[in-house]
Amino acid sequence: MSAATSGIGPRLRRSTWLLALGSALLLAAINLALQPSFLEPGVMASNLTTFLPLILVAIGQTWVVLASDIDLSIGSTVSLVNVVTVVVIDALGGDAAAIAAGMAAGVATGLGCGLVNGLCVARLRFQPIVTTFATGVVFAGLALMVLPEAGLPVPEVYWRGYAGGLFGVRSVVLVLAAALLLCLVIERTRFARALRASGGQMQAAYQSGVPVTWTRIRAYLLAGFFAALAALCLTGETASGDPLLGGAYALSSISAVVLGGTALAGGVGGFLGSVFGAVVLGLIGNVIFFARLPFEYQTLVQGLIVLAALAGGVLVARR
Amino acid sequence: MSAQNPSASAAVRRRLGALALHPLTLALAAAVALLALGEAISPGFASPGQIVSQLTIAALLGMVAAGQTLVIIGGREGIDLSVGGVISLCAFVAGNLMAGTDAAIPLALAATLALGFAVGLLNGLGIVLLRIPPLVMTLGMTGVIQGALVILTRGVPSGRSAPALTALMNQPLVAGIPGVLLLWAAVALGVCLLLHNTAFGVRVYAIGANPEVARIAGMRPERIRALLFGLSGMFAGLTGFLVLGYTGSVFVGIGLQYVLPSIVAVVIGGTSLAGGIGGYLGTIGGAITLTVLQSLLITLDAGPAGRQVIFGLTLLVLLLLYGRQRGLRG
Amino acid sequence: MPLLELSDLRKRYGGIVALDGADLALEAGEVHVLIGANGCGKSTLCKVIAGSVLPDSGVLRIDGAERRFRSPREAAAAGVGVFYQELSLVPSLSVEDNLLLGREPRRFGLVDRRAVRREAERQLALFAGALGPELAPDSRVADLSADQRQVVEILKVLGEDARLILFDEPTSSLDRRQVAIFFELVRALKREGRTVVFISHRMDEIFEIGDRVSVMRDGRVVETTAVADTDPGRIVRAMVGGEAAAGGAPGAAPGTAPAPARPGDATLLRVDGLSAPRVDGVSLELRAGEILGLGGLHGQGQSALLRGLFGIEPGVRGRIEVEGRPLRRPTPADSIRAGLAYISGDRGRDGVALLRPILENLAYGLVTREGGVAFPRGRVAGRLGPVVERLGLRFGSLSDPVRSLSGGNQQKVVIGRWLATAPRVILLDDPTKGIDVNAKADLFRMVRELAEAGAAILLYSSEDGELLGHAERVLVFNGGRIVRELSGEGLTRHALNEAAYATPGATPGAEAGAAA
Ligand SMILES: Nc1ncnc2c1ncn2[C@@H]1O[C@H](COP(=O)(O)OP(=O)(O)O)[C@@H](O)[C@H]1O
Ligand SMILES: [Mg+2]
Repeated sequence: MSAATSGIGPRLRRSTWLLALGSALLLAAINLALQPSFLEPGVMASNLTTFLPLILVAIGQTWVVLASDIDLSIGSTVSLVNVVTVVVIDALGGDAAAIAAGMAAGVATGLGCGLVNGLCVARLRFQPIVTTFATGVVFAGLALMVLPEAGLPVPEVYWRGYAGGLFGVRSVVLVLAAALLLCLVIERTRFARALRASGGQMQAAYQSGVPVTWTRIRAYLLAGFFAALAALCLTGETASGDPLLGGAYALSSISAVVLGGTALAGGVGGFLGSVFGAVVLGLIGNVIFFARLPFEYQTLVQGLIVLAALAGGVLVARR
Repeated sequence: MSAQNPSASAAVRRRLGALALHPLTLALAAAVALLALGEAISPGFASPGQIVSQLTIAALLGMVAAGQTLVIIGGREGIDLSVGGVISLCAFVAGNLMAGTDAAIPLALAATLALGFAVGLLNGLGIVLLRIPPLVMTLGMTGVIQGALVILTRGVPSGRSAPALTALMNQPLVAGIPGVLLLWAAVALGVCLLLHNTAFGVRVYAIGANPEVARIAGMRPERIRALLFGLSGMFAGLTGFLVLGYTGSVFVGIGLQYVLPSIVAVVIGGTSLAGGIGGYLGTIGGAITLTVLQSLLITLDAGPAGRQVIFGLTLLVLLLLYGRQRGLRG
Repeated sequence: MPLLELSDLRKRYGGIVALDGADLALEAGEVHVLIGANGCGKSTLCKVIAGSVLPDSGVLRIDGAERRFRSPREAAAAGVGVFYQELSLVPSLSVEDNLLLGREPRRFGLVDRRAVRREAERQLALFAGALGPELAPDSRVADLSADQRQVVEILKVLGEDARLILFDEPTSSLDRRQVAIFFELVRALKREGRTVVFISHRMDEIFEIGDRVSVMRDGRVVETTAVADTDPGRIVRAMVGGEAAAGGAPGAAPGTAPAPARPGDATLLRVDGLSAPRVDGVSLELRAGEILGLGGLHGQGQSALLRGLFGIEPGVRGRIEVEGRPLRRPTPADSIRAGLAYISGDRGRDGVALLRPILENLAYGLVTREGGVAFPRGRVAGRLGPVVERLGLRFGSLSDPVRSLSGGNQQKVVIGRWLATAPRVILLDDPTKGIDVNAKADLFRMVRELAEAGAAILLYSSEDGELLGHAERVLVFNGGRIVRELSGEGLTRHALNEAAYATPGATPGAEAGAAA
């Protein structure tokens, strides 16, 4: 027994996502007990639709955190991408070409936000927390300028397409699969290694010839890209623009990342944990709903679970 | 002054130079410039009444930022994101304890401070015992507090400020100055004395500047750090108490608007997020500058969008001035 | 034409001068040894060549062409590889990821993990049998021992295929077998026509592997000769710049010979069977007025003993008595109140809080020793006045940050902090690291005064001269144990060298036989 437990620490340290996966499975089981229809495809798909934006934002946040930085502006990025997309689509007349242009403009916006953050933090060496708070305020303001009030519906094909699917596979599943595939590819690049080296010990990485500054900028670019992806999904879900859409995502994405076992100090962890972390946060909402607890309990329980997971993670890793 | 050597005038000159470059001086100069700009654009912006009301708003921010200053100086990425939750919670508790009666004020105040301190200390214990990064610990704590508040209030504003508290916030006490400003002055004096004229203050700066040196010199960095978070909670509690007086009653998210500005006020005030340097005087300047900037942006009629953009850009410029970190190359 | 030529390199860190006009020329295909006291600028010199430190001025030429590296990446592209003394490994990554960091083999643009593993295994095989079974390619570097990390750093540099490789103290934690393998690898590099710079404090290693040797002192290269034309004595003389500066303090009180310990003086510190990480059953007694030296190669437990005594490192077992009172499981605060003081030469890590005013730095000891709530700055400054005067501290104002001071003056602040607490037992942990000759002289003048006033002093120094010049007795350490006690007539440079250098810091136990 002691021999078995002694292996847990190192194991968990390497596969930091295991704890989040365990929590997600546990919550899924509870959810299933409370809601027997949980495993039906329709229910699963609607759950996935709800969770997907946070999953994507959390993936984006993960790259930045791995480099020991942070992105508090990621929520405002989501808002800005959303309004830019709907405004461009609307301005170009709302046909298929306009939708494509709108989505491209949205992705470009996300990348632009990431670039600004990356340049400020890695190039100009501003403190990441305050910097991305400040850029977040700017992005939020820009979003309000682009679209002062919620509204401006997107063309029907957009949201129908998002709610529907391709070759019998739902769009949300396709998006998730594509995102995960992209992550897997990124994980096999030199960039992913440079990222963990920079976050683990920036000076050592620099001395080893790792292009630290460029690596950190790329991490912010990826955060912007995944935020844009999340925003495009949210646009499909809400079918309109809302300058305040992204509000809570900065903090909940950080919670998801931390729940997923990625160290805020950088260098350790990965996207998979964040995916499970986001799912955990989502499932907590479900469980509270189906346990007929008042909706108000959600924040409290989420907060407690995040703290408990952190404390647990620390205690396990210390052995 | 006592016996002087020939270089006394040089020393005085250096003193004056240091004073001119003090973050408080800089921040106040910025505030005065903003006031002048506001007055030029919209006459009356810098009227005494307006200034007092802006200072009142700054006082609330300044009190939260007092605690924020302490944890940031204490180093090791010290930061307290839970102040917003604590403000809301304490405003709620105070409002329900006093329920509109002056007699209950002392009890409400004591309960508020104790509650704020307890929550802060809990943060501190999580940070030093479980080694959870402060950012996450206080963020998680915010979730817990907000959640608890939602349950307690069921989403409806509740509690009522006592008349005397409301008067403290909104009515002139002496020479046209409301009581809250006098209170702020007292708090400022207390915090500055604590940081500069007590052994505790010396220890706080030491653990922030170099915890290993502090430990070898016989200090206990963990204990001090936990205590600093307790104090931050206490200041947030005090702010919550005053916010209740300012607004009369409380809604759940009332404190959240203070979280990031409190950090920004500290940074503008010249306290480094890396810990070990800075002080409360600078933070006072930061709180005032930030408040005047925000109200100027309102006066400018830039609209909420323009206000945010200008506000954010201003912060970035300030970071350019003194928020840069060390380079990798020696 | 030399492969690499440095001229008049200068680099300051705040008040500290790390390089003060250093010149150096390296020939292709040679093993060039660099030696010098701690803090004389060897590592800074390497980092300048490696592009990770930007010099304030000076010229660097490779193959006659002037170069200016803006990053380690550029230096690596020009064929420069560096073994960093503080290592350039990322602790959270695995051995294989570290070994190939930044130059992972790729297939179709993606990292080929199998090739990474193969390459790592091939490299680790070079040290087969000398690394311990627990070192696998996927071990985390954070879990490795000090020698294993150094081996990984060696392999990492070798893998870079550089023309010029700088090894900054690569052998300081290696055992004899690992050193032998390393030297074989260096000889192979030489055969391939590559140039190697080798930094070490171990004399025997220098004579075994070096072609030429350059001696550094105070940020300058003071002598370059062929190894065959020199001897350890000459190297040491060049390092310390003449016996006077190293031993007796110039301008010190008359009578540079150590004051004999007065018999009958009270025993102030008694240590019995003390064990701690890196310390293995050490016993010693220290009388009032005595300066007891701790000698031996760097890192043989001297520092660990002092830090354990003072309560800085946990895990101390054994009896400690200060003035007859036992000190159990001490914390620094306990030790300070019991009358101990700890002065380290590692100012950045545990000496001064650079950003804080001189006044506060001076007062840290007092604050702990006396407790109390208030900190009246004016009155504290008044109390510290005599200490400041005695130190000969040069500063603008007591409220200036310590960062504004030179290295020697920073060290005086640390000393002043402890003088202010009027300690009975003073633990000196290589206190002169990186300070100039005059500051050293001042320091030892003060230490002697303290001893004469009745304090007991435990002095660890990595410079033999300091031990010879100031200690009445020297305990030579090896592998965490005292292997030799030298005093009186027996305390000579030769004896010290023999006791310390005769046995390359190997496993404890091995040295007992070798020393005999
Ligand atoms: N990054 C740094 N900041 C401040 N001082 C430094 C830094 N690096 C080196 N020094 C100082 O420069 C001097 C030379 O150091 P170093 O080159 O490491 O010496 P060596 O390797 O010969 O022991 C020392 O006094 C050291 O304290
Ligand atoms: Mg060195």
